[in-house]
Amino acid sequence: MLNLIKSEILKIRSTQVWFWMLVTAVALTVLFTLLSVLTISSDTPTDQIDYYGIFTSGAGAGVAMLVLGLLALTTEFRQKTITPSLLATPNRWRFLGGKTLAYVAIAFVYGLICLVINILLAVLCLHLKGFPVSFGHGASGGIVKEFISFVLLAFFGIGLGALVRNQAAAMVIGIVYLFIINPLLAGIPWIRKAYPFEPGGALGVFNSQHASDIGTSDIPHLQPLVGGVILFVWCVGLLLAGGYLSLNRDIS
Amino acid sequence: MTAPTQPATGPNSGPRGGYSDGRIVVDNLTKVFGTQRAVDSLSFTVEPGSVTGFLGPNGAGKTTTLRMLLGLISPTSGKATINGVKYSALPRPLQSVGAALEASSFHPAHTGLQHLRIYCAAAGLPARRANEVLDLVGLTDAAKKKTKGYSMGMRQRLGLAATLLGDPQVLILDEPANGLDPEGIRWLRGFFRHLASEGRTVLVSSHQLAEVQEVADRAVILNRGKLVRAGTLAELSAGTTTAIVRGPNLGPLQQALVAAGMSGTTEPDGSLRVRAEQLHEIGHLAYTCQVELHELSLERFDLEKLFFALTEGAHQGQNFDHGPQPGMPPVQSGPAQGR
Repeated sequence: MLNLIKSEILKIRSTQVWFWMLVTAVALTVLFTLLSVLTISSDTPTDQIDYYGIFTSGAGAGVAMLVLGLLALTTEFRQKTITPSLLATPNRWRFLGGKTLAYVAIAFVYGLICLVINILLAVLCLHLKGFPVSFGHGASGGIVKEFISFVLLAFFGIGLGALVRNQAAAMVIGIVYLFIINPLLAGIPWIRKAYPFEPGGALGVFNSQHASDIGTSDIPHLQPLVGGVILFVWCVGLLLAGGYLSLNRDIS
Repeated sequence: MTAPTQPATGPNSGPRGGYSDGRIVVDNLTKVFGTQRAVDSLSFTVEPGSVTGFLGPNGAGKTTTLRMLLGLISPTSGKATINGVKYSALPRPLQSVGAALEASSFHPAHTGLQHLRIYCAAAGLPARRANEVLDLVGLTDAAKKKTKGYSMGMRQRLGLAATLLGDPQVLILDEPANGLDPEGIRWLRGFFRHLASEGRTVLVSSHQLAEVQEVADRAVILNRGKLVRAGTLAELSAGTTTAIVRGPNLGPLQQALVAAGMSGTTEPDGSLRVRAEQLHEIGHLAYTCQVELHELSLERFDLEKLFFALTEGAHQGQNFDHGPQPGMPPVQSGPAQGR
């Protein structure tokens, strides 16, 4: 398995995709962090500052992790490298497992980089605006959750990419879901009762500070940790379904 | 691009796995796509240490068969094994089997060297092996060039380099001569010869029939998904050698040939084609009949002619060559011949 992970990391390093995905993730982290701090009015009382929101604002960069995950398997099919890859690793589940671990490892590193940038930039901006720096009010836990959500989004992308082999279609589905369908689901009566149980909703629950932070009163208020578990189950389910459907198909 | 004159496949000039096995067995393999039977009850064996040409017109099912053999396509029924097991069950697949299926399975942004190093890593091989095989196929100068800039011939060579990474004893090559220029084809011929001399098992599908005839020990011929002939080239050529006899008046000789129990045909131009392995008996009969001869020659076995005779009608295009296709053995079919 180590050889397989090494091979997958080599695949990623051999193109510039890893670099541009990192640039995108860092740029989004910087943008969201600046927005979260710079929009605080200078006369805001210290106890009214949303430290949780500031130190988890980099979570928006998770979309880059989703795209990275989507590329994992769809690139193999698009470039037809799936043939030599499966010749080298004929056990398809092993191949998918190795790829998943490699991409999760990369998301781990990217997440760490974004997290550090989020924290450093937030501390710097708070200091420049004359606000005290505090990791209280759940902010430290939020930082950890932000990091985990990065890795989970990459995981989710791998599963979605395994399910939808066409790269363009997978990208459109992933991004449209996250930015259009997911918010719509939260706003439609009756349907929004299921919102915390769909992947985007579960991600929102996981990244929230309190159970009551998500949506309107008719949305079930789950604990953030439960949202994380639901998202993880979705990731595993999607990967298994995608792996079964995609990798059991004939490679011709 | 330079081509080494004497390809060598590894530093030790032989597969690391040894020659103890390497048998490929295709047993009653069938693949149905929708309503089309791409491969139909196909059975044949490729003996260890032999070079076998896998021949058939476009759409005959060659690539589908090779992909089933390599576990990329699931057979509808039947099975295919290498070293007695399915490809997916081989413990170290790249060290057992080298396969080149298409010349476009490269990421365009990867260099040739990166492409090979990726699979070296997957197979647990040292990265320097990638440089070695690039040198073997004459691609050292293009090692750091992105594959999107490779010509078709360079892609074929890169595919062949990938097959040699694990120094395997079995090589499965799908149309390796496609896109090669005459120099490349000459190089490929030397490459095949060297593989054969090392005792590797080679299964090669190709349209370069003359090249296959020159290097192959055996041939498996498919048409419309079915086996039409399989055997050693000696078996396939048995009884196909024809003597060509030309002269102004061959009537007396024809009668003498019939009386001597020899069979043949009279061509529209008046020449005779006689089934014969040697010329001296015909020459002697011509002498005793006092028949003037302008030509007495042997037409040896030609795999291309056998191929066209066995796959006649498979190509749907207009026929521009109405010349005779004589001396062909009768077409026989059936999986039983595959063994």
